[in-house]
Amino acid sequence: MPGPVTAPKSQRVEGTPAPAGVRSLRALKSAAFVSALGFICLAAVAATALVTDRRVATSATAASHVTAGSATGSPAERRIASARAAIDMHPKRVDGWNDLALALARRARETAAPGYYAEAWQATERALALEPNHLEARKLQVWILLGQHEFPRAVEIAERLNKQVPDDVLVYGFLADGYTELGRYAEAEKAAQWMLDMRPGNVPALTRASHLRELFGDHEGAVELMDTAYRRTADAEVEDRAWILTQIAHLSLLTCRTDAAERLLTEALTLFPNYHYALAQMAEVRTQQGRLSEAVAFREKHVAVAPHPENRYALGVALARAGRLDDARKEWDAFEVAARAEAATWDSANVELIYYGADHSGKPVDALALAQREAARRQDVRTLEALAWALHRNGQSTSARKEIDKVLAVGVAQPETFARAAAIAAAQGDRGHARQWADRSVSMCSASSAAEDARAVLARLRATE
Amino acid sequence: MKTRLALLLGLGGALAALAPPLTASNHREAPITALDHKADITDLYAFMGYGAGSAGKVTLIMGVDPLLDTANGPNWFPFDDEILYELKIDNDHDAREDITLQFRFETDQRLPSLFQVYAGADNGYAAPPNSPSPVPPGTPIVPPRIANFDSAGLGQRQRYTVKAIRGNDQFDLRPDDGRQLYAVPANVGPRTMDYAALYQQGSFTLPSGVKVFAGTTDDAFWIDLGAAFDTFNLRSSVAPGVLSAAQDAANVNIAPDTVSGYGVNTIAIEIPVNLLTRTGRVEPATSPAATLGIWGTTSRPRVSVRRNVNGVPDRSGLFRQVQRVGNPLINELIIGTGSKDRFSMDQPSNDAQFAGFFADPSLPRVLNALTGGVLAIPAAPRLDLRPLVQYVPPIAAAGTPPGPLADLLRLNTGVAPTPLASASRLGVLGGDGAGFPNGRRVFDDVTDIALRVVAGGVLAAPFPGFNADINGRLGDGVNVNDAPYEVQFPYVALSPSGRDRRHIDPTEPGCTAGGGAPCPGL
Repeated sequence: MPGPVTAPKSQRVEGTPAPAGVRSLRALKSAAFVSALGFICLAAVAATALVTDRRVATSATAASHVTAGSATGSPAERRIASARAAIDMHPKRVDGWNDLALALARRARETAAPGYYAEAWQATERALALEPNHLEARKLQVWILLGQHEFPRAVEIAERLNKQVPDDVLVYGFLADGYTELGRYAEAEKAAQWMLDMRPGNVPALTRASHLRELFGDHEGAVELMDTAYRRTADAEVEDRAWILTQIAHLSLLTCRTDAAERLLTEALTLFPNYHYALAQMAEVRTQQGRLSEAVAFREKHVAVAPHPENRYALGVALARAGRLDDARKEWDAFEVAARAEAATWDSANVELIYYGADHSGKPVDALALAQREAARRQDVRTLEALAWALHRNGQSTSARKEIDKVLAVGVAQPETFARAAAIAAAQGDRGHARQWADRSVSMCSASSAAEDARAVLARLRATE
Repeated sequence: MKTRLALLLGLGGALAALAPPLTASNHREAPITALDHKADITDLYAFMGYGAGSAGKVTLIMGVDPLLDTANGPNWFPFDDEILYELKIDNDHDAREDITLQFRFETDQRLPSLFQVYAGADNGYAAPPNSPSPVPPGTPIVPPRIANFDSAGLGQRQRYTVKAIRGNDQFDLRPDDGRQLYAVPANVGPRTMDYAALYQQGSFTLPSGVKVFAGTTDDAFWIDLGAAFDTFNLRSSVAPGVLSAAQDAANVNIAPDTVSGYGVNTIAIEIPVNLLTRTGRVEPATSPAATLGIWGTTSRPRVSVRRNVNGVPDRSGLFRQVQRVGNPLINELIIGTGSKDRFSMDQPSNDAQFAGFFADPSLPRVLNALTGGVLAIPAAPRLDLRPLVQYVPPIAAAGTPPGPLADLLRLNTGVAPTPLASASRLGVLGGDGAGFPNGRRVFDDVTDIALRVVAGGVLAAPFPGFNADINGRLGDGVNVNDAPYEVQFPYVALSPSGRDRRHIDPTEPGCTAGGGAPCPGL
């Protein structure tokens, strides 16, 4: 990793950052991670932040888990303090409220504490009370909506803002995020391309384009852009830098570059101790290294910092993989209760619930019903892949194949996806594709947990030759 | 060669049969171009040639890189090797390019040890007898005055290529004799170079009657830019922004030409009209096929989201458009600040998104307010502005498909050029049908025309409050350029000399091209 370079001001996109949130380690492998991406916003003025979930009851609770930053606090904490001081002095200035909203939203990403979003929203309302239709306040509201995973509403407002002010680069970022989450990839690509074209080299554009490249199967290209983004992010923006390092680590893990990923994550955790995204990825590193109890430890730490349902599900998987099935059951039980409670909302752990039902709880019919409901409102590859798997687990191989083909047509190239595609093709009797995809899964990363599943498919194919 | 070019551009043959039937006024007008000087298009001109040997030919001229002070060495102003310069022609009224002319430059540094890129004097100077060691007396030190593109003192020499594209076919346009195309450098000064000779040599004849020119020239545009952007604090003895009949009629400036003494980088090409029309013929003015839509663009290499399509490098998106220009002053005076970059970077065929700016431009409302209502303006929607954005009369022939709303410079090639002696700087408004907005010649006073059309609403008249002596006499008080235009291709005036250039500012003597009365200060 080349040394970081502070981005010249001219390379920075003015205004606010982008939204949304990586919810979990699995999210890093999925489209949901997009939004998180977004937030890497040029720390500069408004900073950014990826979002997070609203999983933690209160922001204070979440903050207590985080020890990041120096004695003076994390970048977001410093901005919050600064904005509040400015508001105390000039409560009728819009900028102070906007700055506070931005800092709070950024803090949400730092801590995975969604409670900050509600506070941020209130700050934007104060700004808009002073100046109705203030553009920056409206943009912040889109950002917050993306962070809260209210994608259709966020897209609707962002499209309106884009018509009003088509030169605002960050609004294209909001559109790219929302479209990606909803599976509208052509539109997402177009929006991200506008960002790249309008202000070449701006970090929010680079991170979004990187994620789209990953979705389109261009992992090398994705790393290239993330690397550029890293070099253009200021040293002081430790959380932004940690986030980028974590994304590069995630990309490295896809192809079993485990040692490289570990180095990157170690650096990320040094920059931002207990960083929840990095903890989840570090668990993956340990899994690939076969150090399964350490993987569990990282997962436990991750849940302690960000106790969202999907993170508990991942902890259960790690426990099961480590042979601690009873503990896994306990985690999954807790996960199921929490996940079902929010299943009707946009900010949910439904994809994990689908896999749980399909693979662990013996409720494939429930899983399929949920997957079909979820796919009716969003067609992102993560949701479609879960639907394909639920169909497969319910013996509907032909329908499953249609869905997984849609995922592969986007360009997704991940060991897990190929392993599932191989299992579906095998169930269909398409031995050729089954072998091809299983081989692809194993060759991408033989140490991945997905490769185990792929090898099992290959073994079954050999057994029936 | 001629046949191949003719085929490419649609003259006769299979391609023709397949053809569908049917400041610089823009200096730094968008944020993105304000940051990218080299890619900033200043003006676009398109007209039927009126010079010797240019009958039946369309001249297209694009200026880039505004307000070049030719005293500004030691590197002066080369074209940017990274930029793709393009002129685009729509000949079937869909606002999409049917013919594209691409210009790319390549720079050679031939005097890498010298401290400036151009040097020369007389027949050259050698080291004198007292030259300190290790340079022996007689060693050539200063090259001879630059007189041609092979002169030794032309340290920075730019070659360029011209490519014509029609559909999936493309063809490099090269001189028959195999010569390189060279760009004319900035006019450094009389000791260093014979700029006039270089200017003459800078016009290259290509097959099929095509001519090209590229180089630093005088900026053909004129305007009281400072007054215009001081919230229309225009100078006039009658009323702000209103000329008297005498002022309007005279070839005299009553306000300083902010662009005087500045150069611009010019790309010019002259093409027989039948190579551009969709029919491959010279069309009469009454024919819908006679009218072309023209715009210019600059583009730079881009980082693409998608590097590959099905494993193959995607070359379709290699460039990002930085700017485009069709009509003068559109982005500068019509498009809102929050939309200027998008306008610059988008395609004309997508201009419907900017319809609100054309239907109810803010410029007239500003002048209406600034004059306290003395300047009456037409009501919105401004359908009278349609000729600027659609193929409709009086530019296009009746019956021409109007096409989508799009900012193109529309030229009815069937309208014969007006002899210079009887041409009007006010173009169509001055009874001269061969001038703006029917295309645009270098001497068309687009500032005054645009003020009268957009703000004065002269094409909408009569309407309540319209006063021909006010609405029809809007102007900035700059009526002529500071340098004499050439009377044949490439028509633009020679570059001001870096040593002797003069910017004529308020209160300075010689407001009209350096002569006549002083420029007013207020």
